[in-house]
Amino acid sequence: MSMILLSSHSKYLLDILSNRVENAEGVDIERRWTEFSDVCYHIKGSSETPEFLNVSVSFPTPPEETEIEKGLPCGATEAVKVAYGVVVESIVPPDEGFSLTLKLDLSKLPKNKEKRNDMLVKIAAVREVVLGAPLKRILEHLASRTRAPAKDRVITLVHRPKECIFLIPREDKVTVIYPINFEDSIDTVLATSFLQDLAETRRSASLYSAPSCTWSSTPPAELDNATTESLSVNAGFFTFVILPRHVEGKKLDRTVWILSTFHAYVSYHVKVRFLCSYISTYTIMILDFWSSRRINA
Amino acid sequence: MEGGNPLKLYLNCIRNTLEAAMCLQNFPCQEVERHNKPEVELKTSPELLLNPVLICRNEAEKCLIETSINSLRISLKVKQADELENILAKKFLRFLSMRAEAFQVLRRQPVQGYDISFLITNYHCEDMQKNKLIDFIVQFMEDIDKEISELKLSMSTRGRLVATEFLKQFI
Repeated sequence: MSMILLSSHSKYLLDILSNRVENAEGVDIERRWTEFSDVCYHIKGSSETPEFLNVSVSFPTPPEETEIEKGLPCGATEAVKVAYGVVVESIVPPDEGFSLTLKLDLSKLPKNKEKRNDMLVKIAAVREVVLGAPLKRILEHLASRTRAPAKDRVITLVHRPKECIFLIPREDKVTVIYPINFEDSIDTVLATSFLQDLAETRRSASLYSAPSCTWSSTPPAELDNATTESLSVNAGFFTFVILPRHVEGKKLDRTVWILSTFHAYVSYHVKVRFLCSYISTYTIMILDFWSSRRINA
Repeated sequence: MEGGNPLKLYLNCIRNTLEAAMCLQNFPCQEVERHNKPEVELKTSPELLLNPVLICRNEAEKCLIETSINSLRISLKVKQADELENILAKKFLRFLSMRAEAFQVLRRQPVQGYDISFLITNYHCEDMQKNKLIDFIVQFMEDIDKEISELKLSMSTRGRLVATEFLKQFI
């Protein structure tokens, strides 16, 4: 039974980048795909300029309350510059239909193979860099225990199309609240049961150092000022309380990623978990029935 | 009235009713020549039908037994304490009903308003022993509740395992 935890870079994108780097003579390439049903990628390169590659990404449309600058989450453009340095140049305006277009100059990649690979992995994690930028900024403040610029205010960030998450930063902790929605009524019930299990599991002794989690069917008190639209959910609200120890050193990036893809994770496990236990139990059940309950004449 | 395990009382009542109802004989169709249909499904000739019996364990669980001269229909509504059990029961019983041929006496679709139905004809009674048939139905009912509880438990167990792995990432 493999516990699949979502990895932070897009494997497909990484493959394309690695291939491009390894084949000295470039080929014409154009690909388009969607990840986790909310982020779209478009990659384009021509054989004449093998060292250049254009990568466009589109992110989910944020709901009205979120703060964005130039179509991207706050701090994203800066985060991209910091993460990628000279290898990547942000093209303004981005390609039609996309929020961000990056021109990669593969000749500027580090010569050292390991460092080069690390950079490619980081580029393939562009989603994490962009979407996680505002979250990362807030958590960085938490890690250094400095006052975040918007202390005590409820901050909304884009998480999925038309959906946002709420952050309440304080000096010693950051509270992250997810309104959970699912389209399918069965998924909704399964997700609710899973989230309740998740909150319950946190209470077990061995996990006391993980962030404390709670699930509630009604909006938590901190969201009193949010609009009613963003508060209409069918699978309740899930709250994490992140402490400095969860974001120190290397843990910062990981925590940002986990929080950024929380909904995708829940969705994946709702579908997989139900399927797995359903299939395995039913198969056993049916065999049981057939063998022992046959009506004999 | 003696106090007894409510489940046992419910099942005994059903068992007794079935023993009385399961007196089926071959009866060629009155309406279509050379056809032989289960009259309990057709319901076109009232003289061939007996009064249906409804046995309720409580508001949520009940058993409807409809009898005719050559066939018998048993419909069950099972316990569903919450939304999750509702989904599990529905999927599970639908899965069983789809495999009706394997069980022979299962009806492919439950009767309207119920979760699962059996259809027993005189031919089944000729091929199989009546008391074994009744044992099967009663055992089935006992097992369904157990299976749904187990399914719910296994989902919860799996959920906790996954949740533990998830939370460990933060440590």
